[in-house]
Amino acid sequence: MTVYESDLPGVGKKHEVELGDGARLIIVTHNTGKREVFRRESVDSDSEKLFELDDKLARQVGTLLEGAYFQPVEPTRIETLLGDSTLIEWVEVGADADVVGKTLGESNLRQATGASVIAIERDDEVIASPGGDAMVEAGDTLVVIGPREACRNFVELVTGA
Amino acid sequence: MAAALLEFGYLFVVLALTGAAALRLGLSVIPLYVVGGVVAGPYVAGRLGLPYVADGEVIALLAELGIVLLLFFLGLEFSLDRLRASGSEIGRAGVVDLGVNLPLGIAIGLLLGWSFVESLLLGGIVYISSSAIVTKTLIDLGWIADPESEPILGTLVFEDLAIAVYLAVVTSLVLGGEGGFGAIGRSLAIAFGFLGLLFVAVQYGTGLFTRVLDIGNQEAFVLRALAVVIPVAGAALALGVSEAVAAFFVGMGFSASGHRERIERTLIPVRDVFAAIFFFWIGLGTDPMLLTAAAVPLALAVVLTTPAKVVSGYVGGRTYDLSASRSLRVGLGMVPRGEFSLVIAALAASGTTPVMREVIPAFAVGYVFVMSALGTVLMQQSDLVERLVFRGESDGVVKGGQ
Repeated sequence: MTVYESDLPGVGKKHEVELGDGARLIIVTHNTGKREVFRRESVDSDSEKLFELDDKLARQVGTLLEGAYFQPVEPTRIETLLGDSTLIEWVEVGADADVVGKTLGESNLRQATGASVIAIERDDEVIASPGGDAMVEAGDTLVVIGPREACRNFVELVTGA
Repeated sequence: MAAALLEFGYLFVVLALTGAAALRLGLSVIPLYVVGGVVAGPYVAGRLGLPYVADGEVIALLAELGIVLLLFFLGLEFSLDRLRASGSEIGRAGVVDLGVNLPLGIAIGLLLGWSFVESLLLGGIVYISSSAIVTKTLIDLGWIADPESEPILGTLVFEDLAIAVYLAVVTSLVLGGEGGFGAIGRSLAIAFGFLGLLFVAVQYGTGLFTRVLDIGNQEAFVLRALAVVIPVAGAALALGVSEAVAAFFVGMGFSASGHRERIERTLIPVRDVFAAIFFFWIGLGTDPMLLTAAAVPLALAVVLTTPAKVVSGYVGGRTYDLSASRSLRVGLGMVPRGEFSLVIAALAASGTTPVMREVIPAFAVGYVFVMSALGTVLMQQSDLVERLVFRGESDGVVKGGQ
């Protein structure tokens, strides 16, 4: 990628970014902090203004583009490591998993996998420290704690994978 | 006191109203402030028996501060390093611009039977494009993102430097009076001696400039910056040297101090207030009746200098390797004239001959008014102009990429 920088005396700076299809993205940064963003289709055409942002908003949008707020990396599972080998994991219950429609006691998950359910997230509601009579429904997210191996077994069993 | 304060209140009401009208109509504020001054001044409101703003000493002093701050900001934006970094292109485009437009203006003056100094003043007024109007229009039209913005802004930088040298010379010639070659030589020597000293101070005094402004408090910061630039400008004027050029040099000194952005942020409102008073004051001193005396030079200048700027800008664009149509836009972009032509007019008004005192200022007001409007319209209608100019040669040729 090539970025061309040039001075605009009395105005600010201009950066041109090659977009690969012959078009260029042009960012004019004014001395006041305002950013104007243009797109130029080809060398001969005129720039078309896309939008402008003030200094603060430009920085916020910039961090978003940079991925500092959010990285889209397929978060099928979120896990948090406690110590060397113990995990807390969030597991979504698959629609056709065996545990759907059973209570925690009936499905006997802790004995089967070695991991314990410490909370159930259902829509906006959280059931903390659910007892054996808590019912599991499709679409619930189970928060599970246990050794790495146990958690993996639990995920396989509950997501229906 | 009450009368004076009331008069200033009136002045600011007129400025606020004309400023609002300019925003509403999408025009540059500069010519409208001037019109506000003409209308609210002794020659229109005064003649009609309405309350008017008199062209007094206090307002002249505040207008003078406007000139000083305008040039101070020009110096602030200007650095020799930047000129060097942009290399020979600015130089070539700038020299073409200077070489075509200044001599053309001088020739028009001589043709009218004016003296050399008077013609030189006319040359300066028609030569220098308006940084404020051109830059604003570039941003409004979105040209700022296109390649033509670089030669346009580059040439403006060159003009800024040229105008500093020009004002230094012309101020000595106008204030030096009619004393013959000896007196003119002496006043030029004083001018360049003083400016030379100032230049050395600015080049080697960066540390000092930095320390003077090393203060967190905003009020102290603004006051210190003004406490440097205004006394230096005043000392220059007391010696018969251009106060505007002295302010320009001080601005250059501050631009290297690392405080440039903070000065711009904090002092722009101060500059804008005084610059508005300056434009208004120019209007106050303009008798619309005198516009008839300036009608012939005005018509001649508009007809001759508009195509001259377009051609010199076109050649300048070509030196940047731009296409023909983009180069034409560079030419159209250089057409508006404004604040610096009025600075030259203010200088002419302090001259000795009737042409300097009456005709040139009236000419400048009319010229700035026509050229700022014409230039902006030409830029907006550049597609139309392009079709007219290239009609002959582009028959059957499809323009690339459109």
